[in-house]
Formats: sequence, C-alpha cells, structure tokens
Amino acid sequence: MSLTRKLLAASFTLALAACSGASPTMDAGTGGGAGGGTGGGGGELDAGTMPPAEFSYCESKPRTLLTFAPGQEQAIQDAVNTLEECTTLQFAAGTYTFDNAVTIRQKGITLVGAGKGLKGELTGTATSTVFVFTNAAANTNGVDHVGSWFAIRDLALINAKKDALRIESSTNVRIQKLRTEWAVENATTNGAYGIYPVKSTNVLVEDCEAYNAADAGIYVGQTTYAIVRRNVAKQNVAGIEIENTRFADVYENVAEDNTTGLVVFDLPGNPIAGTDVKVHHNTIKNNNRGNFAGVSASSSTVSQVPAGTGTFIMASRRVEVTNNTYENNNSVDVAVLSGLAIESDPSRWMAAGFNFASADIFVHHNTMVGGSGDNVDNGNVDMTLRPFGALIAALYGTDQAMGGTGIVDTLIWDGIDATAMDNLANDINLCFADNTLPAGVTRSIGDLNFIAVQGMLTGANPDFVAAWNKTGHYAQGVAPFNCGAFSPALAEVVLPQ
Amino acid sequence: MSHPLRRALPVLVLLGLSACGPSAGMDAGPDAVDAGRGDAGVDGGVDAGLPRLPDGGVAPLVIPRQLSDLHLFKAVPIVDGQVQPEDDVIPYEMATPLFSDYALKTRSVRIPEGAATWSRDEVLDFPVGTILTKTFSFPADFREPSKNVRAVETRLLVRQPTGWEAYPYVWNAEQTEATFAPGGRVMDVSFIDADGGAVTTQYLVPSKNQCQECHHVKGEDSEQHLLPIGPKARYLNFETTVKGVKQNQLERFAALGKLTGLPQLSERPKAIDAFDAAHGSLEERARTYLDINCAHCHRPEGTAGETSQLFLDYGNVDRFRLGECKRPGSAGSDVGGEFDIVPGDHTQSILWFRLQTTESGKMMPLIGRALSHQEGAHLVAEWIDSLPPKDCRAP
Repeated sequence: MSLTRKLLAASFTLALAACSGASPTMDAGTGGGAGGGTGGGGGELDAGTMPPAEFSYCESKPRTLLTFAPGQEQAIQDAVNTLEECTTLQFAAGTYTFDNAVTIRQKGITLVGAGKGLKGELTGTATSTVFVFTNAAANTNGVDHVGSWFAIRDLALINAKKDALRIESSTNVRIQKLRTEWAVENATTNGAYGIYPVKSTNVLVEDCEAYNAADAGIYVGQTTYAIVRRNVAKQNVAGIEIENTRFADVYENVAEDNTTGLVVFDLPGNPIAGTDVKVHHNTIKNNNRGNFAGVSASSSTVSQVPAGTGTFIMASRRVEVTNNTYENNNSVDVAVLSGLAIESDPSRWMAAGFNFASADIFVHHNTMVGGSGDNVDNGNVDMTLRPFGALIAALYGTDQAMGGTGIVDTLIWDGIDATAMDNLANDINLCFADNTLPAGVTRSIGDLNFIAVQGMLTGANPDFVAAWNKTGHYAQGVAPFNCGAFSPALAEVVLPQ
Repeated sequence: MSHPLRRALPVLVLLGLSACGPSAGMDAGPDAVDAGRGDAGVDGGVDAGLPRLPDGGVAPLVIPRQLSDLHLFKAVPIVDGQVQPEDDVIPYEMATPLFSDYALKTRSVRIPEGAATWSRDEVLDFPVGTILTKTFSFPADFREPSKNVRAVETRLLVRQPTGWEAYPYVWNAEQTEATFAPGGRVMDVSFIDADGGAVTTQYLVPSKNQCQECHHVKGEDSEQHLLPIGPKARYLNFETTVKGVKQNQLERFAALGKLTGLPQLSERPKAIDAFDAAHGSLEERARTYLDINCAHCHRPEGTAGETSQLFLDYGNVDRFRLGECKRPGSAGSDVGGEFDIVPGDHTQSILWFRLQTTESGKMMPLIGRALSHQEGAHLVAEWIDSLPPKDCRAP
C-alpha cells in the first residue's frame, strides 16, 4: 500500500468516524479541525485510547470505539453503514427505537450494550440497553449482520419484524448475554427466530435469553463448529434448534415452556449434512406450550411438532444426548425420526448425499424426572396439522384401553430404517442406556414402526389393536439398544479467540 | 492545484467532514465539486479523465454529502421529480423494471473515462469511475403520473477501483438538494393509486449495507461482490428518445463511444415489456418479470440461490429449479402452499403467495417493497394457471 493510499484511507476513516454518530442536534462547529476526533454528543470517536482488541484479527489493526446514547438512532444507522474494520460500538443504557434493521457488513465489529435486562422489559433501564423494532419497516430483521469476527453482547432486541439477530456467512461469531423477545405470547405473527446464525463457522451463543419466537428462540443452522451454552429459551415454538450443523456442543441450557425444547435436525434440500452434535447437562422441561407456528398450507417443520416434545432428533447422525434433565414434557422426552418421516422422497435429500437417516444416536446418563408422555399434544391431537402427535396419541391410547399405562415411552423412534420393518437389527445404531428413569418405569424404548402403523390407523377401518401390536417396547439396556460410545469419539469443539 | 494528488487530499478532508451532520460553515468549496468528474485535458496524458494516485491507479471517487457536488443533474429545484441529466450523463430506461412500491424511476449513467464492454447475458462491464443513478419519485396521483411528482431518493452505484459501491441520497422537501444518507431513511409516502384509492406506505430508503441484499453475487473467488442489476444488454435493447432523438439505447451508448464490442443486431438479446401482451407470450412475459424482480438473488450465484436452489433467471431451463412441484428447503409457516409452483394453480403456489403478500417474513423480494404489485402478481398468477396442471403430491 502506498503512502498516499494510506493517507487517503486514514483521512476518510477519521472523517467518517468523527461524525458518524452526529446527532440531529449536533452543532456543526464541534466537528471542526481536519480529521478532528471530537464529534458532538455521542457516536463519539474516542481518539485518545484505542480499545482493546476484541479479536485476534484486530490485534495489529487500527481499532475504533464509537459511543452512542438513546435518541441517536439515525446516527447509529449512518455509522453502521460506514464502519471501518475493528470498530466497537458501545450503546449507553436506555431505549433505542429503530425504524429499520441495523444492517452491518464489515469485519471485526463489536456491539456492546449496558445489559440485556430482564424478561418482560420492553424498554431499557439504567442498567440495560434495549433496541425496539416494533415500528420498523416491513420485512426487516433486528440486527442483520454479515462479516467475520463479530461480537454482540449485553443488549436486548425487542419485537423484530423477522429475526431479532440474523448473522449469515460469517466466521468467528460471539453472541453473549443477549436477550431477544417479542412482547406478545403465542403470536403467530411474531418474528420467526430470536438468535439466528446461519451458514457460519465458529459460533458461540452463551448466556442469552430468547422468548416468544414463532419458530425457534435460538437457532444455529448450516453452521460448522458451534458452542451453545448457558442460555435460556422459553415460550418459543422450538426453544433451541440445531439444524444442518456440524460439530456443535450444546450444554447447560434451559429449554422450558416451549412447544418443543431442544431439537436437532437436518432439512431436505440443504447441502450440509449435520453431524457430531453433543447435547448435555441441559434442563428440558415443561415444554407443553401449544404450537403457535402458522399452520395453513404449511411446509414448516416446527409447525408439525406436537406440544410437549422435549427433544426430537431427525435426519441427524452422531448425536449424543447425555446428563440432561427431562421433566414433564407431555408428549415425549426424546423422539428420534428419519427425515423420510417429513419428506418421503429420497431424491429430495440428494443435496447433502441422501442424509435422511438418523443414525448413531446415543442417549445415556440422563435423568428423566417424570410427568412426561402422559398427555400427547395436550390432548389437542390433529391428524392433519400434527400427524406424529396423532399417531402417538392413538397408539398409547390403545395401550391404555388395553390395560397398559398409556404413558409414552421415554425414547421413541419411528422405526424407519434400511432393513425390514419388524426386525431388531437396530441398523441405525440407536443406543439408550444408563438413564435414570422415573420410579416404576419398566419399558422406556418405543419402536413405533410408523410406516406399518400409519396404514392401520388411517384407513377406512382403523385397527388400533393391530397397530399397537406392530410396535415394539423395550426396557433400557436391552439388546440391541444397549450399544454405546462413538467411534471415533465426537469431535471436541474449540473456538478461536 | 494541478497535481491530482494535491487536489485530492484537501478534497477528501473537506468532504469527509461535511459528509456528516449539518454542514453549516462547512461548505466544501469549489475544490470538492470536481472530484471524480471527467476533466480530461486538464492534467494532460491519455488517462487524465479521473483523479490519479501517484502509482497510476484511479483514486476512489469521493462521496460528497450533497448530491449536487457530483454535478450529475442540471439546475435544482427539480420540477415534477424529474432530474435532468447533465450533458455528460446518459439517461436510460429498462424494458421491464424492478418493482419498488410503484415508485417512478429515472435512470442515468456517467462514464467519465473509457467505455463499457459488451456482455451478452450479464450486466455491461462498466469502467472504473462509472456512476449509475436511479432516482425514485412519486406522483401525487397515479392517474396523472407526470404531474405533481416529487423525488424521494437517488441511489448511486459507483464503480470504485475496488469494485461497485452503493450510496443512497435523500431529497429534501424543497427538491433543491439530496443528502447522503448511508443509514437509509424510513418515511411515509402517500399517493392516489391508478384506481383512485388513497395509499400511504412506509417507504424504505435502504441503507448502504441493505443495498447489498439485492446487489450481492458470489464471485468465482467465493466472496460476495456488489453488482448492478438493471443495465444488461437485453433490458437496454430498445428505442428511447433523448433530446428529441429516437434511437436504440445500445446504439446510443456505442455512438457516444461509451460501449465497445456491440455485436451485430442478431446477436443482441432483447427483453420484452412484461406488461405489454403484444410483446411476447405469457410465459415470456412472466419469466421476464421474475428475472428482473427475483433473479439477482434466485440464480446459482445469487445469495438465495445457493440455499433455496430456486432459480428464476430467464435462462434457467430446469423446470424443477424454476419451482414446479419443488418443495422449498425451509419456507416457514403460512406461505400459501407446499410447493413453490403448483402448475395450474397459483393459489397453491408459494412463489405467487410470496410476491403478493405484504406480511413480514413472508414477502419477496426481501427488501424494496412494502406494497403488493398487483399487476405483477396478476401476471405471475395468470402464467402459473396457464401451465398444464400437475398433482405435485403424486408419487
């Protein structure tokens, strides 16, 4: 780079940074002086000290700190559209009302607020920074980011029109102490996702809270290497969703009061086949919220999930579920499904090498407290909208009518595998062992043999007893489900600094 | 001040400071105004049209706070929302434009040095220094669309030395000046529509970064690059009248020395006016509409193409990837159906649903409209209904 280019770049940078936060009331005079760093009230360039490097990428680069206060929304919008690399934007406590998405396309950017506040707080307090998007332009996200080395923390994003935080195609992303929330519970028109990193690499989501999303509170999708830990997801359709993702470590989260708590799946047509997902030390309970995802003529996956589903794993491989606590999920604690259950045409799974099968699923050393599987889909079964729930309800209702407990097994799978329907080859290597089960539970694994059973239950003359007899039920630790341990072991997820 | 560098530096500083906040006392002065303008001859030499760096490279165009400092348009205030291009700025039109909430659009290009290079299928390859402009305006009453027109914004796409960049400018109420608005603006716009109905809409001037949502394409290096959408040969290939002279636009560019490589007539693709039934078949018209409105993302190199595998570019011949009986990867809920296109039935087709709805999270394109384009939705509906019916659920 020639000296001239450096000079040109430097003068432009300073000029923009110096004024990018200018508030509408800024006195133009205060910006005076060539390259002066003394902008008016806020968006201020801290010229004296360079902020510490947030990322290794920024260590040897010039770094800028811009500070903002409530009322400077337009200045913030102008600033985020003219950012230099390695800029930190710091937002003082209070409420910021935006009429458009905060759209960022730059590397090395950090957004920092004063705190994420508490659930239900729709405006900022003395200790929280809240971005409100209630009256933003149609079809916009809250914070919309593309650019590697990105951090966002100590903020709340309220009532976004679409996703509260959308991050796409970025490497090295840290989402920490963020709260995403919609004010109204159970509203189909709420934004789809709270936290939504997609098509990214090296993603950290920790100490966040996500409430009332119409799809998933916390989603990590089409991503490679992710850590999702110590988050709270409540009142969403899906609490935490790991989708078409490779190498994810998901732990110490609380997924409560969602339609479904914590889910791992691949969608058809997506080019990434998920693998190596470890789900451990999470609390997944009371996920009995009625499904409020839009349903008419829907092809959405989560809209088909029956209320009361703790975890479902679909079209996924090498998934370990261990040391979690499950409690009072009315339909079932853990369900394992083939992707063919939602898209039966194998050719539609071609993009990622026919990744419809679930395989190598190891569910062990969890604690099932009890209260689960006793009220499938809260009793609101609907064969059209949520067919799996209807099938499960019909089967276990039959069990009860025949004198059984009628309690859904702790772990159910659809029995869709490569070999004959009724054999016990367990060729998907589904392993269920060493879990602490509620007192008195003897059987805990249900092979529901969906393909055979569906025909028996949905014909003109449904035969419930025959259908039930086509299913298999086993105690944990029995062959062939007493398998274990991955070979090779699941990859450890380590994120760069 | 004849040395380009000596001229450029003070300009940068001045413009940089005035690029933000009210400019009282910070008039950029006369030096600012010719940054990036064609001033061939002043500095001598073959390539003197643009400010140069000492290493011979073209200096980036400095983006002024006031649009008037680029001298693209003649005297203000502009009348009836119509900007009048300066003599070195060439107005152009599109055979079928992208829909933007019914805004009227005035387009022009300045090529200060060199010429655009012909491309048959992609955007013409414009040289460094090129400025494309698009001015968005609304008439008070669409039943009289040339009266009481107000300009809202002018968007610039500038071919900088490092690639294309987008810069939004917002016009003031007096219509005397447009000001650089990198953060975009949201404003209420009201008008009477073509049927006499009163419409008020929350009009979005996209931020600089939001421009990328439409203008980004994945290059051969796998990085995202910003590209213009409109000025492709096929959309320019028709006659317009400029200063009383009726001429094919491609030939006008070539005659002005601003387009090289123009092939013979038979080699020039030609897009039709999607809304003129005399111009082509229903299929051709609908595909043209989808091409200009959707294919900047929905094509293999586009941002949405990779994930959705839905390709709406005019050249796509794969009917499945065009959407016929294609289930979307993750469409979300309540989007009108299970398949992108159900041949014979637009009411079950997600493609149609998305381009007519105004619901957040469901409408397409992702940005650029808050209103439904009735005519476009009708055209696409008619086309889908004309396709031989197919039961997409049949095995």
